[in-house]
Amino acid sequence: MASTADTAPLLAALPAPPRARVSPVAWLVGPALLLFVVFFVLPFGAMALLSFLSGNPASNPNVYFTTRHYERLVGDSLYVEALVATLRIGFVTTIVSLLVGYPLAHWMARMHSRLGHAALLMAVIAPMLTGIVVRTFAWMTLLQDRGVINTTLMAWGWTDQPVKLMYNEFGTIVALVHIYVPFMVLTLTGVIGRIDERLEQAARSLGAGRLRAFYEVTLPLSLPGIMAGSLLVFALSISAYVTPFLMGGTDVLTLPMLIYQQVSSSFNLGFAGALGVVLLAVSLIVVIAYNHVLGRFAGAEKMA
Amino acid sequence: MSARRFDAGRAGYFALNGAIVTFLLAPIAIVAVFAVNPTPYISFPPVGVTLRWFEKFFSSEDFMNALWLSLQVAVAVLVLSMLIGAACALALARGNLPGARVLTAFFMSPLMLPAILTGLALFQIYLLAGIGRPVWGLIMGHTLVAVPYVLRTTLAVLHNFDRRIEEAAAILGASPVRIFFEVTLPLIRPGVVAGGIFAFIVSFDQFPISLFLVLPKGETLPVVLFNYMKFDLDGAIAAASMVSIVMAISVVLLLEKLIGLKAYVKL
Repeated sequence: MASTADTAPLLAALPAPPRARVSPVAWLVGPALLLFVVFFVLPFGAMALLSFLSGNPASNPNVYFTTRHYERLVGDSLYVEALVATLRIGFVTTIVSLLVGYPLAHWMARMHSRLGHAALLMAVIAPMLTGIVVRTFAWMTLLQDRGVINTTLMAWGWTDQPVKLMYNEFGTIVALVHIYVPFMVLTLTGVIGRIDERLEQAARSLGAGRLRAFYEVTLPLSLPGIMAGSLLVFALSISAYVTPFLMGGTDVLTLPMLIYQQVSSSFNLGFAGALGVVLLAVSLIVVIAYNHVLGRFAGAEKMA
Repeated sequence: MSARRFDAGRAGYFALNGAIVTFLLAPIAIVAVFAVNPTPYISFPPVGVTLRWFEKFFSSEDFMNALWLSLQVAVAVLVLSMLIGAACALALARGNLPGARVLTAFFMSPLMLPAILTGLALFQIYLLAGIGRPVWGLIMGHTLVAVPYVLRTTLAVLHNFDRRIEEAAAILGASPVRIFFEVTLPLIRPGVVAGGIFAFIVSFDQFPISLFLVLPKGETLPVVLFNYMKFDLDGAIAAASMVSIVMAISVVLLLEKLIGLKAYVKL
């Protein structure tokens, strides 16, 4: 009754030989590979190429290779300052997100009630799935001069004139933290949840206080989550455009804002490309570090 | 746990977490207040209740064209990313591909690389290719950032998949094609559908890629809202925002019902 074809799945159930044959199912990767080559790898290649060209080769046949876009970038303090501001905003956003996200992630990971856990999860994910433009709008209504916070402060007589809460880096960072903290919470929750609660209990039964048990047991064990979450939030916040634009006013100029400006008002594709390559380089370093952390964490998991 | 006397540390822990949850949710809730507050500009405290902002939003041709375009693009992205993402997940989990780990990281990378650069890069290559800014180009850009979501949810389901079910079907004489459609597909469907729902909302809310790829008068809703907000902050924006918020909440509830949010987060 069993033909040879029918026994193939049975053989598959046996422990796989060290070098398994590539199966025909592998062809299913085709459409994704095509999509990513045509709409991801090639465009980024075009961006890098244009950053070294004097003009647009599609409209101008006399283009030549040049490094002048990069020279302009390094030579003008405006662009260097924008890069520094981008990194600074990313860094502060990351630190604050960690401080805000950690307690919530800890609570969520240690929550035993199923219903409570689901409710908390919704409270974290619902804002995450609301558009960035919408969330930035929400913060504008809160932080502007006639916004919720200033009106309330003035009504209570705590201040005579509005406190400047937005159109500066402060407002930008507050909104960015709100937008990206869910990513921190979700990353941390996963890692903290996998730490055996009994380790902390053992430390406490040996006489450590709750804080000490946390600092010496849970915190060090959650370090991979802290690293991964921080790298993720940093990568996301240095590429933000809407929030610095609307919340930063004229006080804030970041790399993504400059990039769009170069395309929309100056139509200087080469220089936009050069700025893009710089931002891409920073992001790639962060992404590689992130994958490295996750890879090591997964490796440690397997050994345990 | 037994009832105990007042514990300052515990109380502080819950107070802190209460404050953090408020920080997360209050800004979203406040939008609802401005959506029904009748004053012509954003002002607090609210002075009444009106539906005129919803009326303004739903009767504005600009807003409605944008909403319609956003929905059409999101549906196209949902279908494309489900097909491409699910096929890719099967290949990665089952194909014995050399370097599957590196490939997976590659396919996930649009989530971490700046979307604004993806927008810029696509804009540049469309320009070089001389095709302008067609809607299908926008759809492909959105699909690129949506595929990782489908890939992630489908891989998670495949990871927990008991392959002996397929083997049982094979022993009972089912052909590989029949096994795929009657066993494999139904079992991975929740992961694929959950990924598709994510893809829909990611596309509907997508901003940085759209910013570069939309044409004037052919803009998606987030771009129209952004351009409006540069000059004007009134209740119409709040009303439009409510559409996005209601959609996000429905998606969260749907996902919880479908696969359980917890399963998704564990990935």
